Amino acid sequence: MEVLTSLFNVALLVAMLRTTAPILLVALGGSFTTKAGIFNIGLEGQMLIGAFFAVLGSIWTGSAWGGVLCGVAAALVFALIFALLVVSFRANEVVVGLALNILAGGMTISLMKAVFGTRGSIVGRGIVGLPKVQIPYARDVLGPYAQLISGYTPMVYLAFVAVPLFVLFYRRTRLGLHIRVVGEKPEAAEALGISITRVRYTASLLCGLFAGLAGAHLSLGYITMFTENMSSGRGFMAVAILIFSNGDPLRVLAGCLLFGFADAFSLRLQTFGYPSYLILAVPYLVALTALFALSYRARPKLIRETAESMRRFLRAETPSDTTRPS
Amino acid sequence: MDSASTPAAAVPPYAIELVGITKRFGTFTANDGIDLRVRRGSIHAIIGENGAGKTTLMNVLFGLLQPDEGEIRVDGKPVVMADPSVAIAQGLGMVHQHFKLVPSLSVAENVFLGMEIRTRGLIDHKKQEDRTRELSRRFGLAVDPTERVGLLSVGIEQRIEILKVLVRGARTVILDEPTAVLTPQESRELFATLRGFANDGMTVIFISHHLEEVIEVSDTVTVLRRGKAVATRPTSELSKSEMVRLMVDREVSFARPARPATQGATVLSVRDLWARDDRRHPALRDVSFDVRAGEIVGIAGVAGNGQTELAEVIAGLRPASHGAATLGARDILALSPASIRNAGLAHVPGDRMVRGVDGNASIASNLVMGRQFRAPWRKGWLLDWKAADVEATRMIERFDIRARGPADTVKRLSGGNIQKVVLAREFTNDAPFLLIDQPTRGVDIGAQEAIHDEIMRQREKGIAILLISVQLDELMKLADRILVMFNGRLMGSVDGEEADEDQIGLMMAGVAQSQVEAAA
Amino acid sequence: MSTRMRAFAGQLIAVLFALALGSVVILLVDESPIRVFTTLLRGAFGDINRVAGTLLQTTPILISGIAACIALRGGMFNVGVEGQLFLGGFAAALVGFAFALPPGLHVLVALVAAILAGAAWIAIPAWFRVRFNTNEVVSTILSNYVAVLLTSYFTIFLFKRPGGWSETPPILSSAYLPELFSFSRLNWGLVIGLILAFAAAWYFRNTPGGYAVSMTGSAPKFAEYGGVDVKKRGFWVLIVSGAVGGLAGGVETLGVHHRFMEGFAPGFGFDGLIAALLANGSPIATIATALFFGALRSGSLLLETDTNASREIITVIQALIILSVSAQVLLRRRGDAQAGERRWKF
Repeated sequence: MEVLTSLFNVALLVAMLRTTAPILLVALGGSFTTKAGIFNIGLEGQMLIGAFFAVLGSIWTGSAWGGVLCGVAAALVFALIFALLVVSFRANEVVVGLALNILAGGMTISLMKAVFGTRGSIVGRGIVGLPKVQIPYARDVLGPYAQLISGYTPMVYLAFVAVPLFVLFYRRTRLGLHIRVVGEKPEAAEALGISITRVRYTASLLCGLFAGLAGAHLSLGYITMFTENMSSGRGFMAVAILIFSNGDPLRVLAGCLLFGFADAFSLRLQTFGYPSYLILAVPYLVALTALFALSYRARPKLIRETAESMRRFLRAETPSDTTRPS
Repeated sequence: MDSASTPAAAVPPYAIELVGITKRFGTFTANDGIDLRVRRGSIHAIIGENGAGKTTLMNVLFGLLQPDEGEIRVDGKPVVMADPSVAIAQGLGMVHQHFKLVPSLSVAENVFLGMEIRTRGLIDHKKQEDRTRELSRRFGLAVDPTERVGLLSVGIEQRIEILKVLVRGARTVILDEPTAVLTPQESRELFATLRGFANDGMTVIFISHHLEEVIEVSDTVTVLRRGKAVATRPTSELSKSEMVRLMVDREVSFARPARPATQGATVLSVRDLWARDDRRHPALRDVSFDVRAGEIVGIAGVAGNGQTELAEVIAGLRPASHGAATLGARDILALSPASIRNAGLAHVPGDRMVRGVDGNASIASNLVMGRQFRAPWRKGWLLDWKAADVEATRMIERFDIRARGPADTVKRLSGGNIQKVVLAREFTNDAPFLLIDQPTRGVDIGAQEAIHDEIMRQREKGIAILLISVQLDELMKLADRILVMFNGRLMGSVDGEEADEDQIGLMMAGVAQSQVEAAA
Repeated sequence: MSTRMRAFAGQLIAVLFALALGSVVILLVDESPIRVFTTLLRGAFGDINRVAGTLLQTTPILISGIAACIALRGGMFNVGVEGQLFLGGFAAALVGFAFALPPGLHVLVALVAAILAGAAWIAIPAWFRVRFNTNEVVSTILSNYVAVLLTSYFTIFLFKRPGGWSETPPILSSAYLPELFSFSRLNWGLVIGLILAFAAAWYFRNTPGGYAVSMTGSAPKFAEYGGVDVKKRGFWVLIVSGAVGGLAGGVETLGVHHRFMEGFAPGFGFDGLIAALLANGSPIATIATALFFGALRSGSLLLETDTNASREIITVIQALIILSVSAQVLLRRRGDAQAGERRWKF
């Protein structure tokens, strides 16, 4: 009982919200490409390059926001290359995405060596982290629960506030609607004079923007440092979430909270002396299990639908014409 | 002319005039100097066989294709239809045969897609729904604007497509084969709507195969044949059989080759077969027939009436939802494509480039498919490419395939030669049953003759042949028996020797055989 | 013939373009491209020892590349070679140190264990791919992370060498893959890789099953129509690909490290995948591309000491090569380029 209470408490929830934020940001970014009908496995690389340049920018400008700007710009460059190759050159999106991931990995390490002369990680050196936002009076009103809503970096707030905005974006804006149409029924878009190319470029760049923000949060959020391959598969988890959420913002949020929880929970377990390697694998296992379980679930639905339409059809058809011709 | 002689007339009587429209694709002339005048406030039907040039003409009118010669006038003024947006601006609207709707969006969202109503930058769903409701009431097109399109029936989808056209301010509505996907009841409702349009002073152009409907709904008929407009008359002056006579070109009918009666035992037997298409709509309804050894059974019908699905079900590429089919003594409905082939099927598929060949592979490699586990292609554990090359060289000669050699890439060949590669493979399998779907689609006349001869040779060998074709003349030349398919059903069966084009044409248009014979 | 020449020329131009782009990156990190490329060449082929070193690096890339090729030919993406390699490597090490068997047999059993481990690791993604169409790219990528962590756990918590670093006990010498030359650790693994490449090419070209697999990859609808069981072929293609991935790890353990340790063979699986993509899914061409990447890797060791550039600059070059190749017509659509070899007879 005591173990349970120390496992599940406010601190766990806080940790969960914190770990959810970066994956939520990158998954929301991926929702643009997913909705536009592009399979974007390159999220990982965009996030990584964003994280690196955020650190670089924060040192150059001496400001966390300068860092964020740099990180986003770098991720946008990657997103542009992705769009150029996939949309304009019609290259295979898996190949391009994987190559960009590899490029991001190699480039960050090479640049780290070139700029800082080190390998492994960049710590200190004047990196300015993102500030924590204290919500006024939160402590007075909520007491010990104040940390649930107060004291996060702006990115965390941004990530969660973005979810309803995304819902609004897809439902109520022209661009959101057109992104959905281009992904779901390109020929309908074409027939009505909506440029598929332009919409897909826009979606890719918006995706880069959010991946860059996610990267900046990784390196300037709770830990102000950059390490080799620090995105550690979060981009791929985001892709898994996008596959089974179909890019719908609310389902993306649900998926990301699940991963945030798995992440925070496994970190918590570590303090109980479980082998760290197994615990670190938990988020990946959760992603895989969710991916498999949900693709399994999708199947009976199809069968149900077919049976349903068959019944409907037979009801409608049989009474009027059962006679065989001639 | 009219406006010149009577300058006082403010509005010329014709909404649309097409003058001397010619459209060529390479050496093929799809539209040959077509004149078409469509009176304002009328329903004008355009009829003709497949390939007569109806769709091409409408695409020219709508700006999807540019004519090589001729002029388009809207309300008497010449217009260059550079692209569909010009046509839309001129008050034209087109309802395509294949709907372009987004399933996950609501009816109103689909109607207003690309011209969304916004207030303060956000799409105003309420306003869009209200306007859709208003339009739907005004034109008698009952839809619920808030429903998801994916859940709706084809008939309602069509209403949405018409609403899309109306909301863009169309005064002339073009409908391409609008009833092909509708039930009789839905068709009747559509006609009432179209009549309403005409009464409101709008103009309707209506492309169809179904003569009964044309007679029921249209004021004027234009008949196209082989790219030419052969007649334009008030509908009331034409009978159904006259229309058929005008539509069907009798000049180039193939001579029917003499044939010995060689019919043997039943090879393929299909009973009460039902299946659905890719959109899960019923495509085959209660189909039953037999094919005997040494017999060519033809399936006639307008494309898209279930023929493709029938072929796919027999070949094991599409599940049947109900019924039975036996090949030889084996029930084939539960079998894999490979097992059906082993049971005695050879198959010339309709979509040649997707199913029939791997365009990027060599002729020799394409000729191996399905026989990689058999001699002479297989020797011991291995594929014998030398034997395959020898075999391919033989086939190239025997089927007169115009290619540089067995290593030539199939993609490089002409349509007729690619088809010959498929025939070479399937006709040399010694299968007792041959399923042939569209043997001469996209094939030039010379190659057509060769392919026909080859099919007759197979018949003489005592092979049971099911021949599906949208070209009636081909079936009348080759088939011993012609089954007519309409909307997934067999409408009737006609002996090849006594086949009458008019009668078959009527059945293709959905008239029951009993009625056709009673009329004759 | 001319089609193939044109394809090859296209590939070559793409590589040169990528090298030019790479030069720009090298300039960006404040080095001279010429110095970097000559250092790479010297590091890869400077003397006999370096050549042997290059070939040593080539071996796992080649075997991983064959694994990727097999999947690509069947129209599948196995991005999980890295994970299969780790598990295969661990399985071989386990057999190598935990059992005492006669030489020869010991190697064989260890390699079989590696193969089985690789195949088992891909079995679930493969099954879900063919049964429920679960995206194999994502499932195999994610399983890489699990594989790396899982083998680390085995190594450190269950089979750690007493007093050692994070590594297993050394394997018995009876399980060593024999070395080819006295002056280098270069071993029979390379020969295994070469045999595998030729065997795979031969299988695809000369057997009925290989024909069916290739057609499944390049024209799936045509294959289905022709009676090929597309799903079954797809499943087995992934399983075999995973098995070869496992073998790559086994060879690395038995031939080079003689133990399994954390961070055992980083990036070989991905290098193999890139080599296979660059080779357009042809196992024979993968020999060349694997050698190219092996040389880059081996040369990059010298890069670290002789220049200011980091050895990861070669990863950048590799990625640029793939990007510029992908922009070509050659790697266009799924089922076309992705399936690799489109012309049959080569």
